[in-house]
Amino acid sequence: MDEQMNLKISASPHVRSKDTTSDIMFDVVLALAPATAFGLYLFGWYAALLVAVCILSCVGFEALFQKLMGKKVTVGDFSAVVTGLLLALNLPPKLPIWMAVVGSAFAIIVVKQLFGGLGQNFMNPALAARCFLILSFARYMTDFYYDGVATATPLAVLKQSGQVESLRSMFLGHTAGTIGETSVAALLIGAIYLLARRIINFRIPVFYIGTFAAAITIYGFAKGYDVPVFLAAHLCGGGLMLGAWFMATDYVTSPITSKGKIIYGIFLGLLTFVLRIFGPSAEGVSYSIIIGNLIVPLIERVTVPKAFGAGMGKKEEKPVEAKEEEKEEAKEAPAEKARADVKGVLLAVLAISVITVLMGSILGVMHEVTKDPIASVEKDAKEEAYKEVFPDAGGIIPMDEAGTAEQAQEYLDQVNTTLHDIKGFKTAAVTEIAFACESPAGTKQNKVLGYVVLVTNKGYGGDMQLAVGVSSKGEVKGISFLSINETAGLGMKANTDAFKDQFKGKTVDAFKFTKTGSTAENEIDALSGATITTTAVTDAVNAAVACVNLLGGGN
Amino acid sequence: MKHTFKGGIHPYEGKNLTEDKDIKEFRPKGDMVYPVSQHIGAPAKPLVKKGDQVLVGQLIAEAGGFVSAGIHSSVSGTVKAIESRLTSAGTKVNSIVIENDGEFRSVEFEPDDTPLAELTRETVIEKIKAAGIVGMGGAGFPTHVKLSPKDLSAIDHIIVNASECEPYLTSDYRRLMEQPDEVIEGLRIVLAIFPGAKGIIAIEDNKPEAIRSLKEKLAGDERISVHSMKTKYPEGAERQLIYANTGRLINSGMLPADAGCIVHNVDTIHAIYDAVRLGKPLTSRVVTVTGDAIMEPANFLVPIGSSTQELIEAAGGFLNPPEKLISGGPMMGKAIYDTSIPITKGSSAVLALTKDEVAEYEEGPCIRCGKCIEVCPGRVMPEHLANLALQGDFEAFQKYNGMECCECGCCSYVCPAKRHLTQIIAGTRKEILAKRKK
Repeated sequence: MDEQMNLKISASPHVRSKDTTSDIMFDVVLALAPATAFGLYLFGWYAALLVAVCILSCVGFEALFQKLMGKKVTVGDFSAVVTGLLLALNLPPKLPIWMAVVGSAFAIIVVKQLFGGLGQNFMNPALAARCFLILSFARYMTDFYYDGVATATPLAVLKQSGQVESLRSMFLGHTAGTIGETSVAALLIGAIYLLARRIINFRIPVFYIGTFAAAITIYGFAKGYDVPVFLAAHLCGGGLMLGAWFMATDYVTSPITSKGKIIYGIFLGLLTFVLRIFGPSAEGVSYSIIIGNLIVPLIERVTVPKAFGAGMGKKEEKPVEAKEEEKEEAKEAPAEKARADVKGVLLAVLAISVITVLMGSILGVMHEVTKDPIASVEKDAKEEAYKEVFPDAGGIIPMDEAGTAEQAQEYLDQVNTTLHDIKGFKTAAVTEIAFACESPAGTKQNKVLGYVVLVTNKGYGGDMQLAVGVSSKGEVKGISFLSINETAGLGMKANTDAFKDQFKGKTVDAFKFTKTGSTAENEIDALSGATITTTAVTDAVNAAVACVNLLGGGN
Repeated sequence: MKHTFKGGIHPYEGKNLTEDKDIKEFRPKGDMVYPVSQHIGAPAKPLVKKGDQVLVGQLIAEAGGFVSAGIHSSVSGTVKAIESRLTSAGTKVNSIVIENDGEFRSVEFEPDDTPLAELTRETVIEKIKAAGIVGMGGAGFPTHVKLSPKDLSAIDHIIVNASECEPYLTSDYRRLMEQPDEVIEGLRIVLAIFPGAKGIIAIEDNKPEAIRSLKEKLAGDERISVHSMKTKYPEGAERQLIYANTGRLINSGMLPADAGCIVHNVDTIHAIYDAVRLGKPLTSRVVTVTGDAIMEPANFLVPIGSSTQELIEAAGGFLNPPEKLISGGPMMGKAIYDTSIPITKGSSAVLALTKDEVAEYEEGPCIRCGKCIEVCPGRVMPEHLANLALQGDFEAFQKYNGMECCECGCCSYVCPAKRHLTQIIAGTRKEILAKRKK
């Protein structure tokens, strides 16, 4: 009997639970299924494509990186699938595919693998990638749709106008938002599943949402808002539910101790409150969580659980004292140890420097390569805009091309000084003036029909730049935005013909806007929910008109 | 409220294989092996030499000090050799080998039915010491030492550990079911020498029959109560058991006596009964032979020193070839690779499994799920300790309460990454303890 037996030896315990890492990951994917399904139903096949692309590229990048680094390929643990799915659920439904691929690469390669792979990343890969994409492609990442129409997210509407969308549709998810965040109902189904399967602990999400709700309630009372509605809108709006149940609970990047989970939840709740209410964006969950990720080691350090029976009994065992020989060894060791330390530090510094230089070089090369095409594209866009705002002109000649650049700059400075000091414009500034002529540049005896004035002004979401065509008689020929970065669905509506055409063909000293329907020639219908944007655009057009008046045109 | 503690796990119990099987007397035929170290403390000193004739119950090795225990022959026959033999711990230990003549001729035992009230502390301790009784739950601490704490009056609880929380094991349960009177009498004997103490028989609630029958027998007894504990591993770990039954906490640097408790395993209590009432030394114990690789899983009354091989054959041999053989339970038992090793005073089971779950999984990276912390009855951070252990940072290992680990195995069991947490931590604990002793 002995010869036939092939007995295995190992230290106890000899039994293992059936749950494995991939089971847990699979459970998370399963828990995200309702929210994913709803997102696909709401946003259609393109959203499905984004989800598929994110998952496939995350898995692909992980496999590729591990293969290239000569490591064992571990995509079978499903963790890259979870990252890909979470990233996709955090993306707006019409994001260009290649951006999703870039985001996946950032999540897997930079955030996860460069730090040592599964279990070693200090930030949630999906969220870090989302924030990376927001910083890189702000416009695309804030471009939200509902029913195929560009729409602001409920949270953005709430922040900008104080209006609350239907709470029912927010709870069920019939609103604009990222692919996976809209339906609170679907997310809660997943959350209950995770709790029931004991995949996540209640502490982080409950303390997160609880703290956030408490802060919102206090703030709402202080501001005299309709607190229940305000609170419900904040709880159902944006990425809170997706973030609190599925991202803040990410094992790797959240505290492992029970007390730590509570502290972490409270921290996230407060941070989200501050970012949502006082930050520039309506959202705050993603940033809160990745900032929270950074303080996790600190939280864990101060929340080490008390061991069973700790502090009992009279004498506590003293830690092992170094014995004599060891002490001697220790005496010799410091020099060697210090050398090893220095070596380690130098290596780390060197590695970081190399990476920095490498990344810098790549960015530099990218910049060089793309500089000219970008400049030419920008120039084309400008010329296009100039033509658009002064369609009658045969040629548009920038002032610096007509004279010298210095003369043009001097003139611009004079104009801006006058606009600010005498005409009372606060933020609008003219950056370029061009002559709108009858014939193309180079024609002799060219007649000046008017001017195209390039104006910048501060909008709600940062600077906007627009070209305004004004005839010599002071008639606005048209306006066009060269850049605008307002809230999707609200301020962004400034860039629609319906709004822009209100200025066209009018000869007035100054435009005003009204919220009650324009009656007079100089009245513009304000964009609802975007007073700041309307003001900015109107001011900019007025500045252009004033500028042309200074130039001697107009009435 | 159920008596329990915080943490723990619920592994597959596997007790249904043997829980209804009556204890069968096992008669070994082959050579018997008696390692001189079957207990904590100094090894016993052999009193016999090659060629000596011995009888059942004859002292063949005497205690090597106060913290030590004597060893008695469990068969009659001839001393064949005194040599190193492999034990379940995987080490070779000096052992007395006796050729069994199969006649089981015994020395005469002197029964003693002195009323409980008249039993003196000295007689009881002397009889227990003479019987070579040690803790039979596995640790093997000499019982007479345990019963002689510094401050006798501080002891207010004598706990019989009948939780039997290790999966598959049913030896204690069968003792309780078949010989409850002896166990109760054993406890009463211990209570007789601790007049200020109350007795508790602590049983997990997956053994309702045992709880019911004991409660019936003890109805009206004011000194002994039967506690039903939540079924959970490691409910029977000494410190957790004390906490569950008395609410008192002790750390690794303390003894149960520091919490006013003395804890005995069921079989130990039974051995005390045998020693005091029947005058019989410890020569046998109940062993569960079980697992899915065993033809007829059963509970045997096994003479100490019997070969594991013979015992497995008595259970019908192997149904399927085993991949893992374990001396003891699956959580804290020791894997063995040789069936010649003897049954000792601490062997509660022989477990043969057709599949080794440890080898089945590959170790992966920690995903910091925190399950190990959740289940840890010692309330330490196993993943953190394992990392510190692997880094060799003994100082931080102790700072993070590494020495409070009781090596119960819950963390390894529950780890989804299948990390060998217990093994890593236990190894480092041993190293640190060895350094402390130096």
